[in-house]
Amino acid sequence: MADDFEPNIIGFLCNWCSYAGADLAGTSRMKYPPNIKSIRVMCSGRVDPIFILEALKKGADGVLVAGCHPGDCHYQSGNYKTNRRIMLLKKLLDELAIDSNRVRFEYVSASEGQKFAHIVTEFVDDLKKIGPNPLKEGGT
Amino acid sequence: MVDEKKLQDAVKKTVSRDDVKYVVGYEKGTYGFQVTPSFAYDPKDADKFIFSPLCVYNLAVFPMLEEKPPLRKDQEPDTRKIGVVVKGCDARAIVQILQEKGLNREDVVIIGIPCTGVVDPKKLQAQFPENGKNMDIKTGKDNFIITIDEKTHTIAQDKLLDEKCKHCEYPTPILYDILIGDEIKATKKEDYKEIEDLEKKSMKEKWEYWEKQFERCIRCYACRNACPLCYCKECMVDQLSPQWVRRSVNLSENTAWNLLRAFHLAGRCIGCGQCERSCPMDIPLMQLNKKIEKEIKELFDYIAGIDPEEKPLLAMFKPDDPEEFIL
Repeated sequence: MADDFEPNIIGFLCNWCSYAGADLAGTSRMKYPPNIKSIRVMCSGRVDPIFILEALKKGADGVLVAGCHPGDCHYQSGNYKTNRRIMLLKKLLDELAIDSNRVRFEYVSASEGQKFAHIVTEFVDDLKKIGPNPLKEGGT
Repeated sequence: MVDEKKLQDAVKKTVSRDDVKYVVGYEKGTYGFQVTPSFAYDPKDADKFIFSPLCVYNLAVFPMLEEKPPLRKDQEPDTRKIGVVVKGCDARAIVQILQEKGLNREDVVIIGIPCTGVVDPKKLQAQFPENGKNMDIKTGKDNFIITIDEKTHTIAQDKLLDEKCKHCEYPTPILYDILIGDEIKATKKEDYKEIEDLEKKSMKEKWEYWEKQFERCIRCYACRNACPLCYCKECMVDQLSPQWVRRSVNLSENTAWNLLRAFHLAGRCIGCGQCERSCPMDIPLMQLNKKIEKEIKELFDYIAGIDPEEKPLLAMFKPDDPEEFIL
């Protein structure tokens, strides 16, 4: 069972950097696992922790939030604020015994297709080790 | 101990002002050790105001519950102030609300009480389960003096003191218009011992612990309603589209609710413990709040409810915020 576990990842990608980065990974035909489902948001600062929790609750095994590099945010400071929020959320998830490695915040710029592919590959490997999400509705 | 005469005089003086709508404080409840909130619309209402170690509840929630109905065309809005009797911890809640601009400073009159610690009603109930009429409690030097029908008991403070008071760093209100009595210097320090003990547990133990707690949650949202800082016009759990938290009571939804509640109070919770006190299922909600408080202190060097001029924690950033990942 554990061998054929394919994690589900929800990716919140910022419109200005990370979504373009993911696009670049696609157009340059880089290979990365198909486990990620991307959702485009205008800024990583748009990602309310409630979104992350909703994803986990609905059965996602991991959530990736990707935004611009520090100082590069299209809206000046969105990514800094997300950094604070996600850091706190991870601490809280750890306290509640939900592995905080299920949530990941990364900086991916529009030119970093390679990095995006690398992050997704690594994340899928990590999640395979962690196993399915216990918060999933209908089962514990 | 606080001079109740002085408190009543201060309340009388405040209510008589034209620009004050009412003052909320404490009065003796119907039976037992009960204390209930009391509203003084008139100077003579102030005579029943008391302050004793039983006044554990946070009254800072009342200015936030004030309804502002829509006005007719040529109707003037009611801009009268609301007076609140606060202890050190409750004053921090008001400071935090002011910081978030939930209230304006001129909307409230703060009657501050330097507090030496209040009792936990549940602990008191366990020790003295009787429900008489003549029951009273006073703070002694390092004990509580309890009178039940003219019989006097003394009991060490540690046995009855509320959890929040054991580590209280702000016994005197930070912000006040009128202070009853003299300021008290803080002698205790927050050490987060309980939280550190919980952190040491393994993932499996933690999960089992919280599973047991959250399974009991009936999602009555008493914790939200009692909290002075949960004052959103529409709470995210009441929203129907999108519906973030479904109405069914099961472990998954309960965990989500409790996690979100704690997260929405990140950097805002001032540790009055009102949520835990109002919980009918005795879920240790303060453990979650304290955990976040501790992390925020360590990561961002920030304490909620200290400076009304500062920006809220999650609405600002510093370029030197710690980052857990490599660029």
